[in-house]
Amino acid sequence: MEEKKLIQFRNIVMNFDDNQLVLKGINLDINENEFVTLLGPSGCGKTTLLRILGGFLEPTEGTVIFDGEDITKLPPHKRELNTVFQKYALFPHMNVYQNIAFGLKIKKMSADVIEQKVMKMLKLIGLEGYENKNVTLLSGGQQQRVAIARALVNEPKVLLLDEPLGALDLKLRKEMQYELKRIQQEVGITFIFVTHDQEEALTMSDKIVIMKDGEIQQIGTPQDIYNEPINRYVADFVGESNIISGRMPEDYKVVFDDTTFECVDHDFDPNEPVDIIIRPEDIDIVKPGEGKLTGEVLSVLFKGMHYEVVVETVPGTSVTVNMRVIKNNEVTSGDGKEKISANDFFVDIEDVKLLDDKEIIARADAQAWLPDKDEYISINKIEYDIKEEIGEYPVTFFTSSGTMIQKSIYVVNQPFVKNVKANEAVSAFNFFKTVDELRESVALDTDLKTWANAQGWKISDENESVDISVDYDFDPDEIKEGVYKVTFWTTGREFKIRTTDYVEEGIEVGLDFFPEDIHVMKKMEG
Amino acid sequence: MKKFSHLAIPYIVWSLIMLLLPMLLLVLYAFTETGNDIVTFSFTLKYFKKFFTDPDFLLVLWRSLKIAFKTTVICIFLAYPVAYFIANSSDKLRNILVLAITLPMWINMLVRTYAWIGLLSDGGILQRLLEMLGFGTHKLLYTEGAVLLGMVYNFIPFMILQINTSLCKMDKSLKEASFDLGANRVQTFFKVTLPLSLPGVVSGISLVFLPAVSSFFIPKLLGGGQYFLIGNIIENQFITVGEWNFGSAISMIMAVIMMCSMYLVRRIEDRVSGNKKEETARK
Repeated sequence: MEEKKLIQFRNIVMNFDDNQLVLKGINLDINENEFVTLLGPSGCGKTTLLRILGGFLEPTEGTVIFDGEDITKLPPHKRELNTVFQKYALFPHMNVYQNIAFGLKIKKMSADVIEQKVMKMLKLIGLEGYENKNVTLLSGGQQQRVAIARALVNEPKVLLLDEPLGALDLKLRKEMQYELKRIQQEVGITFIFVTHDQEEALTMSDKIVIMKDGEIQQIGTPQDIYNEPINRYVADFVGESNIISGRMPEDYKVVFDDTTFECVDHDFDPNEPVDIIIRPEDIDIVKPGEGKLTGEVLSVLFKGMHYEVVVETVPGTSVTVNMRVIKNNEVTSGDGKEKISANDFFVDIEDVKLLDDKEIIARADAQAWLPDKDEYISINKIEYDIKEEIGEYPVTFFTSSGTMIQKSIYVVNQPFVKNVKANEAVSAFNFFKTVDELRESVALDTDLKTWANAQGWKISDENESVDISVDYDFDPDEIKEGVYKVTFWTTGREFKIRTTDYVEEGIEVGLDFFPEDIHVMKKMEG
Repeated sequence: MKKFSHLAIPYIVWSLIMLLLPMLLLVLYAFTETGNDIVTFSFTLKYFKKFFTDPDFLLVLWRSLKIAFKTTVICIFLAYPVAYFIANSSDKLRNILVLAITLPMWINMLVRTYAWIGLLSDGGILQRLLEMLGFGTHKLLYTEGAVLLGMVYNFIPFMILQINTSLCKMDKSLKEASFDLGANRVQTFFKVTLPLSLPGVVSGISLVFLPAVSSFFIPKLLGGGQYFLIGNIIENQFITVGEWNFGSAISMIMAVIMMCSMYLVRRIEDRVSGNKKEETARK
């Protein structure tokens, strides 16, 4: 079927006064009688594009062609399209009838024609008998319908809808989705719909345009977008997905997590790094050893129609360190007026050269205060002698009146734990803390990570950090002196699976999927 | 919230002593005989009768209402375009313009009115200017025109600010919606912007009409005693004649007239802006 191009955006660039490039050269064709959705997060430029089409903004560059004519500079009241605004923008000083009749009265139609048309519209939107109501007293959904009627009554060729369902509650939003689709099919005109809600877009559209940072990422039918996303951004934005980095050694073969899988994708460079997605509903849970992957069930969430199961196929990386808890680390001055405290600490041999006064004070957590006044005072001198060799080195902290405390710096060669399969490494140091410091911590997990200087990173790129979680087996409120184990760990490779069968947490399962369930995408630039 | 309501107590005490009490005294004075002491009141309506039966007083009342009405109408027509321009300026320009409108109000009103005497007086700049332009020699000071000018000059900022506020508060998308539905700028102004800015015009009217009708030093200074308004009569009764009771009675009459006129204006506004609230409530 040959479809007629109704609207053509040609290289639209929008540059606002503050030199913000909001649209970076948009090319887009919209056919007659299509329900097109512009989908993207807030700030992606979708509303700007709609306002350019509505005539409220003039693009910095580019042309808008409507029905074969250049309308780039045409003022809004001369365009054959109407808009449903985000907050409806109903005229508060007019009733429902007057609002809907506004456009017709401007066109100087006769009163009986206006009445006929308005009544027809009220019937279409299901608000018969509401014509004399005050629009400000209508519910959100009713105002929405009036706004749609007010636009449609002018019989535009295109209806623009700027996030019209954003202000409605979930149930009403679903109803309006069907309602809009029904109205569009009934009146048979082009709808251009702007939203950030991927579900809305999938439900209603004939064509979805996915935008990001002023650029179009992908244009396609809901099925295309969902099943064949062009990159990880689109895959992540539309629907839920497991996105994995991997590479393609050859056509129809993809490698991730050290395993080769068959797939249906081809035409990539040999060994090209790629992103792989597998949708949660495409994975089946089978007996261990029977599927393509094996893993442990980490969590099972009941979601109403299905369970959401998380299975870990590659364990994470973990490192355990000793935390030595001591009772007291304070020294009181001779006259009893000042107190000073500090901790021993460990430092990696490679980091010795990074140590300066500030860094040592921070790592030792050195503090001085006046106990009478409850006031902190500064540490104004520190003495240390440290070499880039493994060993124990003394460090002394002084206040201005000479109160001092001596501690040790242990220079060690701290090995880190490497996990090649998961492409991760984790390191952490033993550390010393007092009972009070542990008890007073308000965010213990974060503090433990700081105290142990725990870090995780990708082996392939040291600058890419990996989130670390922390585990410990003590009650910070009841802690006494002694040595405690603290474990820092990363999550491994996790798969999200949608299934209607219940599985038990903690058991081992197999995961199975077909080659066509694996979708391989080019890596995104930048 | 309850705790903070205690903070209103000083204000309530203040209003009781400084506002309510004097008003009650005014009412008391208006309805009692001259020369009463605290113990013996004799109530009377004779001061009201005196006012309404004397054609001179009624003429002054009529003149006061007329000039206040003229002032208000001139203010609306001058202020609306200015307010419209300010409301449609960029944020930065708008702040500067609003400041420029408010700036003269930092100077005492009396001083500003005295300045007009200098400008309008015989041999003053304005008279000379008119002569040079070939309009002949005209007496400017001590005319009705001078009083009107003084009033418009003093009260127009209130009108501008009120209209500007109501224009700024208006949702910009309403204008866009109007354009979108095919209305051009002029149609949009008369069908959307103007009706929605009427509340601002109404509060502007109350801020201009009320002080204009009762002002006394503008007619005194620029009207030169020949142009007597109701405010001057009240002032005279209190300060020159010493007839506090009669002065109070006139003040009461003025208060009632103003209340009625404000009620009227609000009713008209409801009509014009097509307020359908009552109608919906009935259903």
